[in-house]
Amino acid sequence: MVDAANFDVTAKGGALAAAAAGRFDALPVYKPEIECASREEIRAVQLAKLKETVAYAYERVPYYREKMDEMGVAPADIQTLDDVCRLPFTDKAVLRDTFPFGLFAVPMNEIRELHSSSGTTGKPVVVGYTEDDMDMWSECIARLVQMAGVVPGDVAQMAFGYGMFTGGFGLHYGLQRLGCAMIPAGSGNTERHIQMIEDYGTTVLVATPSYAMHICEVGEAMGYDWGASPLRVGLFGGEPCPPGLKAEIERRMHIVCTDNYGLTEVMGPGVSGECLAERFQQHIAEDHFLWEVVDPVTGEPVGEGEVGELVLTPLGKQGIPVLRYRTHDLTAVHTEPCACGRTLARMDKVRSRSDDMLIIRGTNVFPSQIEDVLTGIEEVTPHYHIIVRTKGGMDELVVETELRPEAFSDSFESMDALRARIVEKLKSTLLVAPTVRLVEPGGIERAVGKAKHVDDQRVK
Amino acid sequence: MTVSQISVFANSRPGHMSRVLALFEEAGVSVRGFSAADTGEYGILRFVVDRPEAALATLKEAGCACTVTPVLCLKLEDTPGELLRVIGVLARCGINVVYCYSMISTYIVLSVTDTEQARDLLAAEPVEMISQDDIARYIAERDGKEA
Repeated sequence: MVDAANFDVTAKGGALAAAAAGRFDALPVYKPEIECASREEIRAVQLAKLKETVAYAYERVPYYREKMDEMGVAPADIQTLDDVCRLPFTDKAVLRDTFPFGLFAVPMNEIRELHSSSGTTGKPVVVGYTEDDMDMWSECIARLVQMAGVVPGDVAQMAFGYGMFTGGFGLHYGLQRLGCAMIPAGSGNTERHIQMIEDYGTTVLVATPSYAMHICEVGEAMGYDWGASPLRVGLFGGEPCPPGLKAEIERRMHIVCTDNYGLTEVMGPGVSGECLAERFQQHIAEDHFLWEVVDPVTGEPVGEGEVGELVLTPLGKQGIPVLRYRTHDLTAVHTEPCACGRTLARMDKVRSRSDDMLIIRGTNVFPSQIEDVLTGIEEVTPHYHIIVRTKGGMDELVVETELRPEAFSDSFESMDALRARIVEKLKSTLLVAPTVRLVEPGGIERAVGKAKHVDDQRVK
Repeated sequence: MTVSQISVFANSRPGHMSRVLALFEEAGVSVRGFSAADTGEYGILRFVVDRPEAALATLKEAGCACTVTPVLCLKLEDTPGELLRVIGVLARCGINVVYCYSMISTYIVLSVTDTEQARDLLAAEPVEMISQDDIARYIAERDGKEA
């Protein structure tokens, strides 16, 4: 008879061993009264908070009052969760147009912290958090890091940059809430990160997956033995985490890696997180976020479990009560109970955005499809770069992929055969023939922040 | 009897071949012969060196895609018909020569992206540049001496 106590989740590999044995009772849940509540209880909490949130936004934010008056909807019209679709959508443009504080519902003396999005695609978006917002945010993070196998007493090293980015401070506060010791190392200086892991007995690393891979490679080059390292858990964020890359990091660094989902406009990281039962999905903190999945073109809800654009309404957020935020992230949400014991709905990990779809010679292509194909080819690494350009009046899709050192042979014939095989596999998935370039090992840039995979050079 | 040739996968971009050569220098490896062939975007650099194990170890440590291939190495007399004689032995037996290059690299031939600029740059360096006339003159002088 196996006892839950036999699985020591604080030991290296313990959490994955417990998950593999289906013994999720060995993995602690931060707040079981809500994370494992019945669907009816969860929906009741959501409805009560939605009503309050709508009334609060209407009362305090002129933008929402005008918009709702225009649409002929009053806070009292929200009687069921389905009534949410009577409310106006909010997209990034609204936050930009009201920059900096147009959507703030409280005066600055009630704000405890400001954060902003990176502003890579336009003017930055600034968000403010009240004390209660900070409390809620920390709790969301504490839940998801516990889901990933982190326990009180862990020593967590931050490899995100702090600054205005929500990821650094968000994870920092949440890990402290759970009872971890924080090492605020910040990004960069990879050798020092590895030295600190060894010197301070770091058990948890917070990083972008591409930077974690870089730390792994630098450590290997230094002769650091990841198998004997105290490091046990990797918490990833800041950029999408390809399953192939995650699996490779788990194997090479001997750690368990999870990633979470969130966006600055609704809070930051912590909207949803990965448990160890469903590695391709993330549990949504439904008591704090009402989710909808809509058709990205019409805005109408899609069927249960179907893929569409995720729309989020933070529940009870005071600083900025955003209603129905259009994330542009494509996913499907599932509400059946999870093997980990949680009843909170699970969203499929976001692999593509409604706005990062590339249209190549009239065919829709998602970078995630290219990534999936490359992950299945053992001669290349999971690193890739996509260039789209115009050649002879036609769109040309160029995919650069990195050769694994052990896949090289002293023959142009076999290198060309490999390239032809990659072209064929991509073509059968994408229905567009790409040009494939083989790049030297390490030849594709490892980004410290958001990995930029696509370079669209076409003249718009 | 074969020698161990080191082959390296390299992108056809400035600096990639020199990176490999710098690694050899650092490891104290001496290049005795080489060839660089490309497909327009990537190429294979091939080297015959004095210490192949050391060369391979240093390349692997630097994360390069590289491998060792056993190749034949022949010393020819510099007399007319000698190359034909040796290659002819293989041809008569139906053995294909996949690639072939000459060793002891004091005379090297380069094809570059900007020939004129490269010529001007190298003209300013302490290195002797050989013209087509030089090659013809060398043969004429040698034959003259022999006659």
